[in-house]
Amino acid sequence: MKCWNCEKDTVGRPFCPACGKIAARPPGATHFDVFGLPRAYDVDVPGLEKQYRELSLKLHPDRFAQAEAKERRLSLEQTTALNDAYKTLKDGTKRAFYLLKLQGVDLEREDAGAQKDMPLEFLEEVMELREALDEAMEAKDLDRARKMGAEVEGRRKEALREAVDTLRTLETGVPVESSVKKASHALGRVRYFTRFLEQVEAFEEEMLA
Amino acid sequence: MSKNGYLQIHDPLKPKGHAVGIDLGTTNSLVASVIQGKPRCIAADEGESNLLPSVVHYGKDGGVVVGARAKQLASEHPTDTILSVKRFMGRGPDDAETRKLGAYKFASGGKVVRFEVAGGQPVTPIEVSGEILRALKRRAESHFSGRVEQAVITVPAYFDDAQRQATKDAGRLAGLEVLRLLNEPTAAALAYGLDKGSQGTYAVYDLGGGTFDVSLLKLVEGVFEVKSTGGDSALGGDDFDRAIAQRVLEAMGQSSPSPTLVAEVLAASRKAKEALTDVPEVELTVGSHRQPVRREDFEEWIRPLIQKTGVVCRRALKDAGVTASELDGVILVGGATRVPAVRRFVAELFGREPLSDIDPDQVVALGAAVQADLLTNVDRQDEVLLLDVIPLSLGLETMGGIVEKLIPRNSTIPTAAAQVFTTFKDGQTGLDVHVLQGERELVEDCRSLARFTLGGIPPMPAGLARVEVRFQVDADGILAVTAKEQSTGVTQAITVKPSHGLTDEEIENMLLDSIDHAEEDVQARQVRQQRVEAERVLAEAERQLGEHSALLAEGERPTIDAAMTKVRELAKGSDHHALKEAIHALDDVCKPFVERVMNQALTKVVAGHSVEEF
Repeated sequence: MKCWNCEKDTVGRPFCPACGKIAARPPGATHFDVFGLPRAYDVDVPGLEKQYRELSLKLHPDRFAQAEAKERRLSLEQTTALNDAYKTLKDGTKRAFYLLKLQGVDLEREDAGAQKDMPLEFLEEVMELREALDEAMEAKDLDRARKMGAEVEGRRKEALREAVDTLRTLETGVPVESSVKKASHALGRVRYFTRFLEQVEAFEEEMLA
Repeated sequence: MSKNGYLQIHDPLKPKGHAVGIDLGTTNSLVASVIQGKPRCIAADEGESNLLPSVVHYGKDGGVVVGARAKQLASEHPTDTILSVKRFMGRGPDDAETRKLGAYKFASGGKVVRFEVAGGQPVTPIEVSGEILRALKRRAESHFSGRVEQAVITVPAYFDDAQRQATKDAGRLAGLEVLRLLNEPTAAALAYGLDKGSQGTYAVYDLGGGTFDVSLLKLVEGVFEVKSTGGDSALGGDDFDRAIAQRVLEAMGQSSPSPTLVAEVLAASRKAKEALTDVPEVELTVGSHRQPVRREDFEEWIRPLIQKTGVVCRRALKDAGVTASELDGVILVGGATRVPAVRRFVAELFGREPLSDIDPDQVVALGAAVQADLLTNVDRQDEVLLLDVIPLSLGLETMGGIVEKLIPRNSTIPTAAAQVFTTFKDGQTGLDVHVLQGERELVEDCRSLARFTLGGIPPMPAGLARVEVRFQVDADGILAVTAKEQSTGVTQAITVKPSHGLTDEEIENMLLDSIDHAEEDVQARQVRQQRVEAERVLAEAERQLGEHSALLAEGERPTIDAAMTKVRELAKGSDHHALKEAIHALDDVCKPFVERVMNQALTKVVAGHSVEEF
């Protein structure tokens, strides 16, 4: 990347090493690149938090309130990317989904083919769980809904662990298609369980209000 | 947001004078600035109150009066005197908040609330707020004897996009470059944090005149990170007044009271509320109607309102992932937190006594001044940073009237998100985009921010055109939406303004008007102000003479009458110096009489009466 100000290479840094001006975001930079981290599941979260604060102090639009329009725009872009990266990487579940996305499978997109790819038995099971929850909700049975929530939370954790283990094996060497698929199925389950838990939570809030 | 800019205020070569922090409150507004390293509120005059009542009066002659003098005119001119204008910012005429008990006349039609007032066209809440901001700007300029062009203006954390836009537009109308819209609880924390150098997690409970906010903040190494925020932008101390007023109107047997009566009852209710902070019972008086109000009853009437804040606090704690016992402190902000029942409730809810060592009326303005200094003073740039969040989720309408959230509430700002849509019909060349804000699932339960059609999509089979809609929220919490058609490389970007806001053109026209207004002769303004004062003094004198003529000494009446005639005559002319002197002269000749009236009244004082009534 060429610096917009001095035309020297910014080498992907947030500020141009040559002239010190805020730099444009390199195209294709990942959330890991924002923090200069390797593309891997294990992240030191307290360290990440500290780095986030330090970068925010330098990049935030408040630091450029009196600067030129160009610098204000770059500050907005970089801080937006920093906030997005931090939000994703500090959370173990979001981090796993993001790593899978970097492997080419985006489960967060509504029209993603990967979603239709879930095993049929699992989808049937989810349907049954949903029906049972609907019944509990209709009967205004908070205890039963909570019990189901606790059980599903256990299964969500288990599925996430399986996904993470698989993602770790993908960190070294070339991607293995079967492993990507395995991780994608595991995270697909996490996704369904998370939605289920959100429903339980909404029901809880409704009952307590 | 605007590509063309309104009028270019920003000129890097021009010195900008002092930067100030402004708390644009529902009931009162304040301006503060960092002076010799410390944030201070600026009073109109040495020894006077820092608070500028957020009241704007529109006179028949087209004159505008702001502040305490406007407030005095409220009961006499209820529809021409706008109180609590903040409640109407960014609102449509059909909003529930607009229809609450009040004394205003609204112009019909249009997407924006407009008040029918004397002396000209209906005015929007943005223009009314602009008058308040202009008064504060003038106050600061006279304090510094220099220009003030940059300001940080505070908004309730729970303000939605339309309300934020409206506030920023009001700042522009007043000729201010709005450096930042700052959330009020965050401002309060900033005022506390810098004074005490605190670290830890704090809750800020902010109950103002018309809005309630709660924020949870984590302070680490100079970074104030807002973890969550929640609130209700239609709940505040004004609702406490209304709770009393409703009972009073019922007791008076008034089912459809006149605007004047409503204004009077509301004012008396506010007085009663304030008095009940210190005494267990007061007598409320409206005309000949007297009614005792006990603190116990008052607390019973407002209990449902206070409890509403509890639900919001619990959700904010949950969103932040902390429990009440993990907090390091609770900060109280806003005049309504003086109500003892509110304090008790907060102490119980968070399990600790709240901090209130900085005046809850001033703390927000002081924090805004600190932020204005941080943004403009290069020497202070490494000390402190605020990381704020967006209070309400942003989303798009999808099939079946369902809202799909793109940016969840409590995301740190600035932030962005994008979503790709495809066409569903062959040859479809346009796509409707409906932007919403709120937490509910159905479109009709959320706030509609903008609706637009993205045109110019090249015709192709269904599903092939791919349109990416991107949300960008800036550091003020204001949204810009852009849409691009990707598949053919044809791109088109649209920037939208919220449905309940004003168009760029409307703002520009108002801005031009207001500049004319600002360049008007200073003398004309002073004449208007003195005229209003004259009107007030004459009315007061007439009232006293009518009620207490028995107390007049011999030969006193003709002297007073002559002084009154002089004031009346000069009020028609344009010499404000002479008018001011005549008002003083009238005051002087009335003095012995008024003292007699007061003495008599004092001997008759019963519990609940105050000397201020005379």
